[in-house]
Amino acid sequence: MISRRSMLRTGAIAAVATVGAPSILHAQTKTLKITTWGGKWGDIMKATVLPAFEKEFKCTVQADQAFPFMPKLQASPKNDPLYDVFHTNSNEQWSALTEGLVMAKITAKEVPNIADVYPYAVSDKIVGVTIFTSAIGLGYRTDKGIPVPKSWKDLADPKLAGQRGGYLIPVNSLGQCHLMMLGKVYGKGLQDLDAAYKALEQLKPIKLVDFTGQMEKMLLSGEVSEGVIHDSGVLRYEGANRQPVEFCSPTEGVMALEQVLNVTPGSKVKELAFSYIDYMLRPDVQKLLAEAVWYSPANKKVKLSEKYDARLLTTPEKVATLIQPDWKWYNARKDDIDARVTRILKG
Amino acid sequence: MSAAANRKPFDAGRAAYLALNIVLLAFLLAPIAIVIVFALNPTPFISFPPVGVSLRWFEKFFASSDFMNALWLSLWVAACVLVLSVVIGGACALALARGNLPGRTFLTAFFMSPLMLPAILTGLALFQSYLLAGIGRPIWGLIMAHTLIAVPYVLRTTLAVLHNFDHRIEEAAAALGASPARVFFEVTLPLIQPGVFAGGVFAFIVSFDQFPVSLFLVVPKSETLPVVLYNYMKFDLDGAIAAASMVSILLALSVVLAMERLIGLKAYVKL
Repeated sequence: MISRRSMLRTGAIAAVATVGAPSILHAQTKTLKITTWGGKWGDIMKATVLPAFEKEFKCTVQADQAFPFMPKLQASPKNDPLYDVFHTNSNEQWSALTEGLVMAKITAKEVPNIADVYPYAVSDKIVGVTIFTSAIGLGYRTDKGIPVPKSWKDLADPKLAGQRGGYLIPVNSLGQCHLMMLGKVYGKGLQDLDAAYKALEQLKPIKLVDFTGQMEKMLLSGEVSEGVIHDSGVLRYEGANRQPVEFCSPTEGVMALEQVLNVTPGSKVKELAFSYIDYMLRPDVQKLLAEAVWYSPANKKVKLSEKYDARLLTTPEKVATLIQPDWKWYNARKDDIDARVTRILKG
Repeated sequence: MSAAANRKPFDAGRAAYLALNIVLLAFLLAPIAIVIVFALNPTPFISFPPVGVSLRWFEKFFASSDFMNALWLSLWVAACVLVLSVVIGGACALALARGNLPGRTFLTAFFMSPLMLPAILTGLALFQSYLLAGIGRPIWGLIMAHTLIAVPYVLRTTLAVLHNFDHRIEEAAAALGASPARVFFEVTLPLIQPGVFAGGVFAFIVSFDQFPVSLFLVVPKSETLPVVLYNYMKFDLDGAIAAASMVSILLALSVVLAMERLIGLKAYVKL
């Protein structure tokens, strides 16, 4: 027979269990906070990549796609950062390192798949680890009667006056890469800023944008005939969206636009963060994302389908054409460079 | 009398006045016309002149769960902000307009101060405060932040109505035996209603379009429409942006028309 006391006790235990269950469950399920891109990349991450990771590692991933990532990380406490894994381009990782917001190096000890990446992915120009790269070169219209570009110098062709496209250098890393490339092509090297400034003068008049997406649209719509862009920004427009636009890898080399992952030192779930980076470097995940957005995978074991393999940087020879800028050097001079290029391109 | 004699002489001043109005209207409405053209143009990029008419970008906008979630969240937040800012801003305005509140000038400046600070700084400061307080970035935190920005609009429009408010009407009602609550709901509120409602419309629109403050306070999967549009634009600059803008414009217009039906815009014009 059930006494009134035992019934009350059972009821109390059931009530506590009901109220407490979600928080107990929540305490057991770890949450990984990451930054990630939007667009097609974001769609695939949300639909396939992240749910599979959550299932395998029995965790929840909170993926922030809302820019700006860096100020948000800066404003959050270092011992409880807003993000566990910080996904940005290489230049921002260097800024974050200077402020102690990310780790300096990640090795194969923490992330085993690092053993299979191309050397550029963990070179001394990289903070964290590169998971993908794009090649920054020249995009051009094939229907405007302009010569097919072969060199970076071809962008200065007088016939392209007002028809060439570039970036607002202070806010766009492709623009910053282009400036350094001008130093290499017209001067003594990537750090020859005087030669770069002089060459930049010769590119006027030039249409400037702040987002890479805007450059893609300017090329697609024919608003510019030639412009600085990364290969993915041209190659991803296939099928019904195809326009007479092609990508050229100039003979002097292409600049690397790396997608870099890193872990924040104050992360409370570091092991999970390393597992996530390792997961992103797995050949199957790399292949899925590379073929969706036309990024070159950093893992050399990845075998892409033929059409992607033909265009992306998937062999040591092709990878050797990549030029990695020294962002530490650039960031240290950024304010001066910004002021100078703004004066040059004003109006 | 002949027709020629009836014809009014050419008035250069009136013609200039009309021309100026037409220029101003064109300046205000041209961006909306451009947005409509882009929203209906079927090309996968924003271009001019248009090559046809298509609803594909509206279909993409309404079929996207990201856009729809963001739209509903923005509407919900804006509705909450409307109610909160009307209550807070209206109450503040009444207290300030009574004239016997100590530090009245300082308090007015204090309540108006969110408009003087760049909104991006307000957003960043609130973001940092929330994190330091250990509360994260809850949705009510976003609503409070929007309310902070919206209250000055309600305060300003309500104070404008109260400027010429005849307090003797309230005193007469009280003298005739009405309780303070009855005086407020049956005398004061109907008289200040145009200012409060107009402020409410501003509050709703300010919250619905709020970007700089939201930028730091939204969390993954709970992002407002302006933030989603900004991030979308960085990767996909297609007609869906224009379609979303059209929807936003129509929603703002609906709110204004609804307010016109409820209180009549003419009541506000009298301010």
